[in-house]
Amino acid sequence: MILHELIFDYTLRNVALGSAMLGIVSGFLGTIVVLKKQSLLGDAMSHAALPGIALAFIVFGTKNISVLLLGAGITAFIATGLIYLTTKNSKIKFDSSLAIWLSTFFGLGLVLLTIIQRYPNAQQAGLDKFLFGQAAALTQSDVTTMFILGAVSISVVILFWKEIKILIFDPGFGTSLGLKLRFMETVVIALIIVAILIGLQTVGVVLMSSMLIAPAVAARQWTDRLSTMVMLSAFFGIIAGICGSVFSSKIAKMPTGPAIIVSISFIVLISVLFSHKYGLITQYFIERRSNRNIKLNRILEGLLNLSVNHKNPYHPHSINVLRFMGYSPAAIRSGLENLSQKGLVLHHGEEEWALTEAGYKEVENNIKNLVQ
Amino acid sequence: MDEKYTLEITDLTVAYDNKPVLWDIDLNIPEGVLMAIVGPNGAGKTTLIKAIQGLVPTAAGRVLVSGKKYSENRGLVGYVPQRGSVDWDFPTSVVDVVKMGTYGTLGWFKRPGKKEENMALEALEKVGMLDFRDRQISKLSGGQQQRVFLARALVQNAEIYLMDEPFQGVDATTEKAIITILKDLRSQGKTLVVVHHDLQTVREYFDSVALLNVRIVASGKVENVFTTENLQATYGGRVKFLDQDLSQNAV
Amino acid sequence: MTLQFEILIIAMFVSASCAVLGSFLILRTMAMMSDAISHSVLLGIVLAFFIVSSLSSPLLIVGAGLSGLLTVVLVDVVNKKKFIKKDASIGLVFPLLFSIAIIIISKYAGNVHLDIDSVLLGELAFAPFNRFVLDGTDIGPKSLYVMITLFILNSFFIAFFYKELKITTFDKSLSSTLGFRPNFLNLFLMGMVSITCVAAFDVVGSILVIAYMIIPPATAYLLTEKLSYMIVLSVVVGILSSIAGFVLANIINANIAGSISVVCGLFFLIALFLAPENGIISNFRDRVRKKWQFSESLLLVHLSNHEGQPDYDDESRIDHLNQHMLWDMRFGEKVVNLALKNGNLLVSGQNLVLTEKGREYANEIKKDTV
Repeated sequence: MILHELIFDYTLRNVALGSAMLGIVSGFLGTIVVLKKQSLLGDAMSHAALPGIALAFIVFGTKNISVLLLGAGITAFIATGLIYLTTKNSKIKFDSSLAIWLSTFFGLGLVLLTIIQRYPNAQQAGLDKFLFGQAAALTQSDVTTMFILGAVSISVVILFWKEIKILIFDPGFGTSLGLKLRFMETVVIALIIVAILIGLQTVGVVLMSSMLIAPAVAARQWTDRLSTMVMLSAFFGIIAGICGSVFSSKIAKMPTGPAIIVSISFIVLISVLFSHKYGLITQYFIERRSNRNIKLNRILEGLLNLSVNHKNPYHPHSINVLRFMGYSPAAIRSGLENLSQKGLVLHHGEEEWALTEAGYKEVENNIKNLVQ
Repeated sequence: MDEKYTLEITDLTVAYDNKPVLWDIDLNIPEGVLMAIVGPNGAGKTTLIKAIQGLVPTAAGRVLVSGKKYSENRGLVGYVPQRGSVDWDFPTSVVDVVKMGTYGTLGWFKRPGKKEENMALEALEKVGMLDFRDRQISKLSGGQQQRVFLARALVQNAEIYLMDEPFQGVDATTEKAIITILKDLRSQGKTLVVVHHDLQTVREYFDSVALLNVRIVASGKVENVFTTENLQATYGGRVKFLDQDLSQNAV
Repeated sequence: MTLQFEILIIAMFVSASCAVLGSFLILRTMAMMSDAISHSVLLGIVLAFFIVSSLSSPLLIVGAGLSGLLTVVLVDVVNKKKFIKKDASIGLVFPLLFSIAIIIISKYAGNVHLDIDSVLLGELAFAPFNRFVLDGTDIGPKSLYVMITLFILNSFFIAFFYKELKITTFDKSLSSTLGFRPNFLNLFLMGMVSITCVAAFDVVGSILVIAYMIIPPATAYLLTEKLSYMIVLSVVVGILSSIAGFVLANIINANIAGSISVVCGLFFLIALFLAPENGIISNFRDRVRKKWQFSESLLLVHLSNHEGQPDYDDESRIDHLNQHMLWDMRFGEKVVNLALKNGNLLVSGQNLVLTEKGREYANEIKKDTV
C-alpha cells in the first residue's frame, strides 16, 4: 500500500512540477509573443518541432529526451528562419508564411513518424505522446531537464528585461539609443523555442501555441504593468498546467494537452468577464452605477434649478415638474427615494420634494467639479 | 565666415527596391537652430530622420554629428518618433515610458534607478504631465501621448533633437506647450530638427527650414528660403491654394 | 482502375479543391484563419457523429460547416475585447474547440473508427476501400465522388462570385459602399473552407488541409501577378504536388498525405528562390546589377551638383570619393571604371570631369526624382 502511494505520489509530483515549470516559462515568453503581435508564431514553431523529434530518433536511435528536444529545437529554429526568409524576400505576408511552413514541417513530421512505425522498436518509441502531451509519463529526469531549460530562459528574460521591453514597445527608438535589438530579437526567438520544448511532453506540439497565448491574454485583463503581467501570466500558466495534468492523471482516457488548454481557456473566460479592471461584467456594473449617479445628480440639479425662481434652494417641488428631464415619474421617484436615504432630499408630502442642506452642498460641489 | 555645423549630412541617398526615396541629400544644420523639415507626402521626411540615425539602410552618404560619425556621437542625438509608430495598448505607465530615454546610457543588464526616476519626473514636469506619471498609457489622449514622447526625448539630455511630426493630431494647447518647450530648448543652445506638415505655422514656429522632396529643394533661414517660388518647386502645383496666405505673411 | 491509381486521383482532387479557395485566403491575409477552421471543424464532426452515429452522414458536413462558422464568429467576438488582437484571438479560439473535440474522441469514441491518428493523418491509403455501390454495381471509391463534387462546388463558387470576391478582397470599404456585402461574402467563403476541410479531413487529416489550401496558391502568387492566372496556376501546382508526393510516398513507403505536403513546401521553396521575376536569386542578381547602375548615377549626380561650385575641386577628387560617398576605395574605383567605360566621365589629373553625355544623364535623373 505504502509503496503504491509512493509511486503514485512520484508521478503526481513530477506532473505537478513539470506543468508548473511549463506554466512559468510560457507565462514569461507568452507575454512577449502576445505583445509583439506574433501570437501565432508559436503555433508554427511547435508544429515544426515534430520532424525534429522524429529525425533525432532516427539518427541517434535513442529516446533520450535531451537528444529529442535538441532535434526539435533545431527544426523549429530552421522553420522560423524560413518564415522570416519568406516574408523578407517575397510578397508573401507573415500569416501565409506561418501557414506554409507550419504545414510543411508538420507533414514532414508525420512522414517521419510513419517511417519510424516500421522500426522493430517502434512500440517503445512512444513519439505519439508529443502530439497531445502525456504528463503522466514524465520522469524525474524529464522534470530536471525542464527545470534547467526553464531556469535558463527565465534568467535571460530578467537579465535583458529593459532591452526586451523596448524591443516590444518601440524598437525604432531602442535602436536609435544604440541598443542591439537585432541580437535581442534572435535571443527572444530562441527563448520561445525553449518554452515550446518544455511544453512538448506536457501539452504536445498541436496545442502548445495556446499555452503561450492564453495566460498572457488573461493576465493583460488584470493589470496595466508589464512586470505584473508577466508574473500573473506565469501564475495562470502554473494553475492551468497543474489543473490540466491532475485532471488527465485522475480521469481515465483524458489527454493532458487538451485538458490543460481547456483549463487555461476557462481562466481566460473568467478574466475577460470578471477582471476588476476590464471585465465585461464588472464594466457593466460600473457603467450602471455611474449612470445611476448621473441620474441622481441631475435630479438634485433639477431641484436646485427649479428653486432659483423662489430664491430659496430648499423650496419643495412636485415630481411632475421634474419630468422635464426626460426620466419617467417612476424613475424620478426611485431616484428621489434613493437620495432621501442619503439625506440629500426631503419628502414634503403630496409628492413634493426639496433639497436638504447636505443636498444643496452636494449639488454645488458637483457643479464646481463639472466646471473644472 | 565659417559657421559651425552640428549636423552635417553629405550625399545621403536612400533607396527602397532601387527606387530613390532620398536622393543625394546635402544638408548642413548649424548649432542652435529650430528647423522645420517640410515637404509633400512621400517626400522622404520620415526616412530622412531615420536615415540620419542609421535606422534605414543607406545607399550612400555620410552623417556627421558634431564632426564625428553618427555611431560615435549617438549619445548627442535625441529622437521623437511618430506617435502612431507604437502600440499604446502596451502595459506600462507614463513615467516608465519616459524612463526608456535613459536606457541608452545604462548599458547591458542595468535597470533604471532613483536617478533615472528623478530625471523622468523632471522631464514630465517640463511637459506638464507630472500629474499623469502613473497613468496607463492607453488612457492618454493624442496630445498627452505626444508630450510623453517629448519627455522621453528630454531625459536623453541630447544636443540635437530629431522629431517626427510632433504636432500631428494634437490639440491646440499641446501644440502651444510643445512649441514653447522647443523654443526653450533652442535658447539653451540645443539644435532641433522637426518634421512638420503645417505650412501655415512655419514662419511662426521656426527660424530655419529645409524644403524636401526626395532632394533638398532649399534650406536655410525661413525668411530667405520659405518663398512661394521654393514652395512651388517642392510641392509642384499643389501649393497654389496657399499662395495668397503665404505671400501675405511674407516679410 | 487499380487501387493505387484511385488513391492518386483522389489526392489530386483534394489538392485541386483546396487550392481553388486558397488564393483568396492568402490575399485576404486569412491563411491562419483556415488553420483555425481546419482544427475546429473536428468539433462539428464529433458532435454530429454523436447525433447520427455514422461517419458517412451528410449531417457531418452540416455540423462541420457550422463549427467552422462558429470559429469565424468567435474569433471576431473575442477580438472585440480590449487588448486582444486578431492573431491572439485566433490562437485562443481554435485550440479550445480542438481540445474539446480531442477530449470527446478519446473519452467516448475509442471503440469506433474516429481515432486521434486518423484525425491527424487522415487515411488516404484506405480511402478506396469505402466503395460507392449503385444498384449492386461498384462504381468507384466514395471519396472520389465526394472530392469531385467538392471541386465542382468550389470552382462554381469562385467563378460565380469572382468579381465580388475580388473587390471585397482589395477594397473592403469601397465594396460595401458599392453595395457588395463583404461580411456576408466572407462568411460564405469561410463556409466553403469549412466544408472543404471536412471533406478533405477524412482523407488527409485536419492539419495537412492547410498545406493543400495555402501552399500551392502561395507558390502561384510568386509566379504571377494576375488573380485569375493565380487561381488556375494554384490548382495546377496542387495537382502536380499530389502526383510528386504520391510518387515520393511510394518510394520511401511513408504516409501519402504528409509526403504531398512536404512536396508542396519544396515546390514553394523552389519558387521562392527561382521565380523568374521575384525569386530571391533573380532579385539578388537584379540588385547587384542595379547597385552598380545606381552607384554610377549617384556619382554622376554628385559631380553635377557640385559642378561650377567653389568646392568642385575637392568634391571631384578620386581619392576623396570614399569620404563623400561613404564608399570604400575599391568599390569607388569600380564605379568610376564603370562610368568611364560608359563614356560618362573623364579623368583629368586627380579629378573627375563629366562628359556631355554624363551631364545629360545626371540632369535626366535629377528631373525624374522630383
